[in-house]
Amino acid sequence: MILNRRDVLLGGAASVALLPLAARAQTAEVVIGVIYPLSGASAQIGVDAQKAFETAADLINKNYDFDLPLAKGEGLSGLGGAKVRLVFADHQADPQKGRAEAERLITQDKVCAIVGTYQSSVAVTVSQICERYQIPFISADNSSPSLHRRGLKFYFRAAPHDEMFSTAMFDFFDAQKKKGQKIETLALFHEDTIFGTDSSNAQLKLAAERGYKVVADIKYRANSPSLTAEVQQLKAADADVLMPSSYTTDGILLIKTMGELGYKAKNIVAQDAGFSEKALYDAVGDKIPGVISRGSFSLDLAAKRPMVGKINDMYKARSGKDFNDYSSRQFMGLIVMADAINRAKSIDGEKIREALVATDMPGEQTIMPWSRVKFDEMGQNNFADPVLLQYNGGKFVTIAPPQAAVAEAVWPMK
Amino acid sequence: MDNSFAQRRRRDLLLAAGFTAVAALVPLFVKDVYVQNIMVLTLMYAALSQSWNILGGYCGQISLGHALYFGLGAYTTALLFSKFGVLPWFGMIGGGLISAVIAMALGYPCFRLRGHYFVIATIVIAEIAYLLFLNWDWAGAALGIDIPVRTDSWLTFQFTRSKLPYFYFALGFCVVAWLVTFWLQDSKWGYWWRAVKDNPDAAESLGVVVFNSKMGAAAVSAFLTAVGGSFYAQFVSYIDPESVMSFHFSLLMALPAVLGGIGTLWGPVLGAVILIPLTELTRSFIGGSGRGVDLIVYGTLIVLIALARPEGLIGLFSRKRKGASR
Repeated sequence: MILNRRDVLLGGAASVALLPLAARAQTAEVVIGVIYPLSGASAQIGVDAQKAFETAADLINKNYDFDLPLAKGEGLSGLGGAKVRLVFADHQADPQKGRAEAERLITQDKVCAIVGTYQSSVAVTVSQICERYQIPFISADNSSPSLHRRGLKFYFRAAPHDEMFSTAMFDFFDAQKKKGQKIETLALFHEDTIFGTDSSNAQLKLAAERGYKVVADIKYRANSPSLTAEVQQLKAADADVLMPSSYTTDGILLIKTMGELGYKAKNIVAQDAGFSEKALYDAVGDKIPGVISRGSFSLDLAAKRPMVGKINDMYKARSGKDFNDYSSRQFMGLIVMADAINRAKSIDGEKIREALVATDMPGEQTIMPWSRVKFDEMGQNNFADPVLLQYNGGKFVTIAPPQAAVAEAVWPMK
Repeated sequence: MDNSFAQRRRRDLLLAAGFTAVAALVPLFVKDVYVQNIMVLTLMYAALSQSWNILGGYCGQISLGHALYFGLGAYTTALLFSKFGVLPWFGMIGGGLISAVIAMALGYPCFRLRGHYFVIATIVIAEIAYLLFLNWDWAGAALGIDIPVRTDSWLTFQFTRSKLPYFYFALGFCVVAWLVTFWLQDSKWGYWWRAVKDNPDAAESLGVVVFNSKMGAAAVSAFLTAVGGSFYAQFVSYIDPESVMSFHFSLLMALPAVLGGIGTLWGPVLGAVILIPLTELTRSFIGGSGRGVDLIVYGTLIVLIALARPEGLIGLFSRKRKGASR
C-alpha cells in the first residue's frame, strides 16, 4: 500500500551498492554463493562453515602442493586462472529467508553456483530456487534422504545421507554379531525435528530388514527441559544398543539423566550431531567411555594421507578448531563444485551441471574417507562411505569401516 | 460532528486508493526480484497484522497465538493440493473457514479468561497445535510439505520466476484486510469491540453482548490470517511446522500493529512498511558477517521507536487526525 518512494529508493540504493560487484564479476572471477545460518541459534555452525569455505577458496586460489583438485596452481585453470570469490548469505534457519537469499545471490550477485545450508528444511527451498534459475546447488552437509529424491536436475550431494549413515551402523552390528557378540535389541531415542525423524525412519527400516528387534522407539521434544520419563522407558527396555539422534544440549541432558536414574546403557551408537560436538564430551565425556558415533570425517586419515593433516592445520589456524563432521563436508562441497566449474570451463549453469554429472573424483584426492565422488542420476554420491568413531581415553578413533579403521572397537563398551 | 466523521472516512478511503494505485505501479519500475520479494512480504505482513489488529487492537483481546491460524491456512492449502490436487484457491477459502470455526471453538472457553490469562491461553494453544503438526505423519510431520511444482498459472497459483502475480495478490489481500477493518471499525461491531476493550463490565451493562462480539472479532481475524498462511505456502512452496506455526510468527503478526499503532486503521500498514524492509535489508546487507550486527541494528531501531512514540508511529500524525475527527 504505502510502498512507493521508500521502496523505489531502496531498490535504487541496493542496485547502486551492487554496481561495483557486478563490474568486477566481469573480470576473471568466479562467484559462488554460500548460504548458512550466520545469526540465531545455529550461528556458530555458520561461522565455522565460513572458515571452512574460506580455507577451500584459499586452496583453490593459491598454489599448494596437495593431491587435491585445484590445489596446484592459482585459481581455475579451465577459466584462465580465474579466482573463486565467495558471497555469504544468512538464512537464519528460515526456509523463506533461504529462498529469498538464494534468489538475491543469483539475480544480484550473479553467482554461478550455490553451496549450503546446514538445516535440511532450508535446503528444500534453496534447491527449488536453484532449479528454477538453473543454477547448480551442492548440499554440503544436509543429511535428509528426501532431499535428493525430489527429481531436481540441479541438486547434488557429495556427502552421505542419513540412510547411508545408519547402514554403516547396521553393517557394524552385523560384523560384531559374526564375531560372536550378542546384539538383538535396539532402543531408538530421537528428537522430533527433521533430523531425528529422518534418522529414526532409516533406523526402523534397517532394523526390520536385518532382523533386529526395536524394543523402544522414543521420540522426544527437542530442547526438552527434562528427559526423566523418556530415560525411565529406556531403562526398562534395557536394549543391547541405545541409538540416540540428538543435538548437543539434549545429548548432555540424556547422559546426565541416565546417570541420575542409574541406567547404564550396554552400548551407545549415536547418530552424530551432539555426539560429535566437543561440548558434549567436555560436559559428560567421562560418563560414556566407549560411545560410538557415526561421522563423515576422521582425522585418523591424516596418518595415511598427510595432506588431510596439513589442510586441517590451515582450517585450525582460521577457526581454532579441528575439522569436524560438518566443516569437512562443507570444505569438500566447495572443492567439488569448483572442480566442476573448472572442467565446465564456463560459468553457465547448464554446463556446470553437465560437469557435475561427469564428476569422478578418486577418494584419495579428497580429505574424506570416501571411495570416490561420483553422482547417481538423482545427484547423490553413493560412494561417500561414512565412518564410525569410538570415543576412548579422551579422543576419537576410527573403528569402521575396515578400510578406514585404525583400531578395533571396544565392544561392549566399558 | 457528522460532517467531520464523513470527512474522515472519505479522507481515509482516498488515501487508501491513492496508496494502492501508487503501490500497484511500483513493480513497473522496480524490476529487481529481491526488492519485489521484500515488497511482497511487506504487504503480506501488513495484511496479517491488520487481521491481528481486529482481535488484538480493536477488541483488545491480545493474541500471541495467531501462528495457529496462519499455519492452518498454510497446511490446509498445501495438504489439499499435494495430496488431492485441489486447487489452492479452494484451500485458501477452506483454510479460512476451518480457522474461523476453530477460533470460535477455542474462543468459547478462552474468552472467559481476561487480560494476561487470555494471552497465555493463546500461546499455549498455538504451541499445542505446533506439536500436533510436528508429530502428524500424514501431514509430513517434521519433514514438512514440499508443494509439487506444476506449470505456471493463476489456477495453481505458481510462478517460476516472476514475483508480480504474488505481488498483486498480496496487494489485493492487503486492500481487502484494510477495507474489512475500515468497514468494521465504524459499524456497530467496531463500537462494541472498543467498548469491550475499554471496560467489558460497563459495556455489558449497556447492552453489548461481550462474548458474542469477541467471538465475531476472533472469527474475522482468524479467517483473514489463514488466507495469509495459504498465500505464504504458495509463495514459499515449502512449509514445515517450524516455518509456519512457531511462536515467532505470532510475534511477527502482532509487532507491526504494536509498532505502528495498536487499534488504529493505519497502524499495522505503517508498522509493516517500516519493520519488514528493515529486517530483510539488515540481514542481507550486514548479516553476512556472522556477528549478528543486523539484529543489533534492528533491535536498536525498535527500541528507539518505542521510546520516542510509545503510542505507536501513527502518533506522528495524531494532531492532524484529531483536528479532522473532532
